[in-house]
Amino acid sequence: MTTDVGTRRRRAAAITATARRRRLIWRDLGHFGVFAAPGMLVYLCFVLAPIVVSFGYSLTSYNPFNPPTTFVGGRNYALLLRDEEFLTALRVTVILTVILVVVPNVAGLAVAVLLDRKGWFYNAWRATFFVPVVLSSVVVSVVWTRLLADDGVVNQVLGWAGVPKVGWLSDPDLALYSLAAIMAWQMLGFCVVVYLAGLQAVPHELQEAASIDGAGPVARFRRVTWPLLAPALTINTVVLLITAFKAYDHIQVITNGGPGSGSTATIAFVILHTGFTANRQGYASAMAVVMLVIIATASAITLRLLQRREVRL
Amino acid sequence: MHTDPPTKNRRLSVPPAAAVPLAAAVAIALSSCSVADTAPRKSGGAPAAAPQEISFLTFETPNLPPEYWDAAIERVTDKHPEIKVKKLVTPTVDRTGYAKQLLASGQFPDVMLAVKPTDIGAAQNLYAWRPDELKDFIVPDGGAIDGKVYQLPANTQTIPNVYYRKSMFEKAGIAAPPKTYADLLDAAAKLKAKGITPFVVGGGKDAFPSVLPLTATVATEVYKKNPNWMLDRRAGKTKFADPDFVKALSLVGDLAGKGYIDKSMVSLDYAATEQAFLKGKGAMYPMGSWFAAAGDKSDIKDDVGVFAWPTADGAPLLPGYTGGGLEVNANSRHLDAAKKFTLAFQLDKANLDNSVKSDALFPAIKGYTPPADTGPVFKATYALWTEHVQGNATVKAFSWETGGDALIAGMTEKVYAAVQDVIIGMKSAQDAAAYLDAEWEKAS
Repeated sequence: MTTDVGTRRRRAAAITATARRRRLIWRDLGHFGVFAAPGMLVYLCFVLAPIVVSFGYSLTSYNPFNPPTTFVGGRNYALLLRDEEFLTALRVTVILTVILVVVPNVAGLAVAVLLDRKGWFYNAWRATFFVPVVLSSVVVSVVWTRLLADDGVVNQVLGWAGVPKVGWLSDPDLALYSLAAIMAWQMLGFCVVVYLAGLQAVPHELQEAASIDGAGPVARFRRVTWPLLAPALTINTVVLLITAFKAYDHIQVITNGGPGSGSTATIAFVILHTGFTANRQGYASAMAVVMLVIIATASAITLRLLQRREVRL
Repeated sequence: MHTDPPTKNRRLSVPPAAAVPLAAAVAIALSSCSVADTAPRKSGGAPAAAPQEISFLTFETPNLPPEYWDAAIERVTDKHPEIKVKKLVTPTVDRTGYAKQLLASGQFPDVMLAVKPTDIGAAQNLYAWRPDELKDFIVPDGGAIDGKVYQLPANTQTIPNVYYRKSMFEKAGIAAPPKTYADLLDAAAKLKAKGITPFVVGGGKDAFPSVLPLTATVATEVYKKNPNWMLDRRAGKTKFADPDFVKALSLVGDLAGKGYIDKSMVSLDYAATEQAFLKGKGAMYPMGSWFAAAGDKSDIKDDVGVFAWPTADGAPLLPGYTGGGLEVNANSRHLDAAKKFTLAFQLDKANLDNSVKSDALFPAIKGYTPPADTGPVFKATYALWTEHVQGNATVKAFSWETGGDALIAGMTEKVYAAVQDVIIGMKSAQDAAAYLDAEWEKAS
């Protein structure tokens, strides 16, 4: 009898505790919902919904000025595989991405190491390097278009040195590299600031300990500083990767995708022109979906690799 | 994890402080998700006494600075105080592309200028003018699409004329403007021998300056034989790969191949191309008649001459197109006001005179004659057109058509790219023609 009562009491206590836990969970969920809902609604409306809608359009022949719209299934995706313009844009985007990820990263690290000192002189230089980052890309593009023009300052200076005129923006073999250089120049300041933040977070004691152990400047950088800069490298690489993949404004202002057919046209540029100039928004949506997959995959792989490296180090 | 102690009266779990931002976020999100109001609106919604505000999409070029538009709009609104105008400006000279963006985002202007009707779904989005509204226009069916006129056929432009520097011709020993294509090549050779770049042909972000030589060679090699070539292309009866069109492309390629067109100039945008000619970077400048305005404002106006791109046999021929006027949004909230403003703007004598002086337009309005005080470059350009009209020696200007005889949507930019490919040697004429046919199929 006593055992029965005790068991019942324990059961009752357990039930009460479970109910209380459930109430707590529901209350926590309520709190979570209230605070997360605004962000989730914005994310839903401005990120997820457009992606779903774009995917829907990509399965149609949607052209706002040429109705009716028909369901075409995967035909747009099949067409992409043999669309010379899209494949060229893919190649251009990959080249631009490689340059834009490597050059500002390497140059940014070098500049950051040089500027990792105290004093007004170095502060002034840091500000100087950061100015292009805060400038509008259109302003940067207009300025560099003038500088690299046929009779621009760059060619004039080269002319004084006896170098013949270079078609920085008119030579189809050079125009893409000129664009990449302009974009790399603009992003350099960003990389410098991120690396400087990383450098300033390196504990001084570790450097001292390495010095006491007999490590020279190169060994200290290789064995102490560089491993601790891993998070900065991750941030710079992913930001540059995404910047390169969605490059549009510099191209629109400087070369309009030319000279010629697509020598500097990136995927983002081709998507916008296909969708809003040729009005083929179904087909452009298919391109956008492919671009999304490429960016997401590239970013995920890069993040995974670099974060693994951070943990390992 | 820290949690607050449970209380009986907090089961709703909505902290009061969170309610306001939540409600605001929901309202913003829902309003952002809502479909734009695209339903056709009837005119006359506003009280009669209040001015009706209409938006007017303009574009700016070296010839058409902001002051030009402000003064032109003010002239009309002074006469019609019941209309208020909000001026919009396209970010580049691509009016059509920008108008489409505005349309897609539910901000299509009430009135717009020189937007390609074929690219913007004229039947759904633009007002089709009635014949009685077009009674003052010389070519009332100019730029018609399936018999309907959406863009006022307000002016004629000859595209291209070949503007040239008389002093450079003289220096190269060229006695008179070329009469035949062989003469043109001969003149180019003489200029090059003197170290003068024969042709100024740009492109850059505006791209269209590249197409002018092709517009000329298509006129002489294609449209001269078949004035309806573009209509036939739309019907699938002709191809860009046809021998005549390939020849037109190859003539441009030959000029570049011989060094008569400086390939490096392809990176120059429209404004820079114009400056290159005005600053003497080349002797000949194939450009639309609108250049006459800039020519007349320049210091070298008396040194600029003009001739028509010559045919092989020297027969006179000049490409041109009548259209280019204002259009009205068929679904405008203030349709009557938009129409009234548009016709008043387009037929205003002072506006027409200024369009002649600022943009060297040839108004195609009955009874209109250009002012006598225009400059020498305009006078020469206008005389060239008049002479060819009288000689019945005009054809349409390839890639500049805007009606049912225009390139299909998306193809104009492909033509610019193809001709740049030919100029810089990235593609042969045959390859460029094949590229255009392939792009046409994709765009169809």
